[in-house]
Amino acid sequence: MTRHPIDNLAALAIGALDADEARAVRAHVAGCQSCGAELRALEEAAFAVVATAERDVPDGLRSKIVERARREGVPRQAPSSPLFDLFRRPAPLAIPVALALLLLVSLAAYAGARRDADRYASALAGIAGARVVALAPTGEVAGVRGSLVIPATGAAPYLILDLPAAPSGKTWEAWVLRALESPLAAGITNERGVTTLVLTAPLASGDGVAVTLEPSGGVDRVTGNPVLAGKT
Amino acid sequence: MSRVAGGDADALGELYDHYGRVVFGLIYRMLGSPESAEEVAQNAFHSVWRQANAYRPERGSVRTWLLAIARNAAIDWRRSKGNRVGRETVIDETLMLVDERRVEDTVITNLRAQRVRAAVASLPPEQREVLSLAFWSGLSQTEIASRTGAPLGTVKSRVRLGMARLREWLGDDEVQR
Repeated sequence: MTRHPIDNLAALAIGALDADEARAVRAHVAGCQSCGAELRALEEAAFAVVATAERDVPDGLRSKIVERARREGVPRQAPSSPLFDLFRRPAPLAIPVALALLLLVSLAAYAGARRDADRYASALAGIAGARVVALAPTGEVAGVRGSLVIPATGAAPYLILDLPAAPSGKTWEAWVLRALESPLAAGITNERGVTTLVLTAPLASGDGVAVTLEPSGGVDRVTGNPVLAGKT
Repeated sequence: MSRVAGGDADALGELYDHYGRVVFGLIYRMLGSPESAEEVAQNAFHSVWRQANAYRPERGSVRTWLLAIARNAAIDWRRSKGNRVGRETVIDETLMLVDERRVEDTVITNLRAQRVRAAVASLPPEQREVLSLAFWSGLSQTEIASRTGAPLGTVKSRVRLGMARLREWLGDDEVQR
């Protein structure tokens, strides 16, 4: 970006930019000294305003926070996949639009070409009254496909997956990804081929969904890299 | 932050000692309930603990990062509880900024905070409104446009002008201190 995003720096400083805009402005600021200095000055002003809300904290809050951290131990590095990095950043972020579009186009082409013979495409073609979001294969495991289905009726969202057999001692596990939070375990399956997995964790607009390979029985905290990922 | 990322819970406690009042105050102001604010503040610091290794100094200060986490934790909490709470808070907080006499006595009353509040109060009402919705209701410019009915371009310009004036006034204030 060569044009300085002066008009958006104030909004970025107070967290009022939409995620895509914020990402673009941050990318510019990272390489622009003058915009960086301007942003820091605006963040100072923003902090001064926020600090007017400062107030006494409840008794015991500090010890609750520290004890909870002690109980959990050393924070674990999340998987190094950039898809997980997106959801670890403070601001709500989305998978790049270009990737999402590519996935949708790919999925549409795929479903159209193999509708009669492919159970996965047939399953997708049979969906009515729901929003379908294609999940992106990350390349971690070959031959995986998946889609997130969000019924308009308000019923629980579910995944339609086409998976190879999980290796011995492993299971496929779904996760709900939310900015600022660790991935939420959302169900496991050991099925091979086309299967349906109802998400057991709540899914909100803007959340992401991923599938990883985890130890048999599933785990509460993600250990594997995503093999499929997408965003609502 | 490197100590926190390394698993030093005492360092997290020190971070809390430094910013706990601001974090709790921001969340309280956004949610309007001490019980909810306590729960969300705890969650926010827990997120800091778990994500400390994602903090990058070159992207901004610790406090900016921490407040972004706190703000998002409050937004997430409000979304999880439905919009009703949010709407009530928006109305209350907008009024609080429009009429300085309604600022609660329990809010910090030191000279610096009074100066900042005076600077905010001196903004034109339309700039004060959009900044209030951004700061205390956690709305984006797009959401503010939708909420107020003002064109997005107008909202953007009010945010920009309002923050420019605050920056100017508060910058002068820093010089005088």
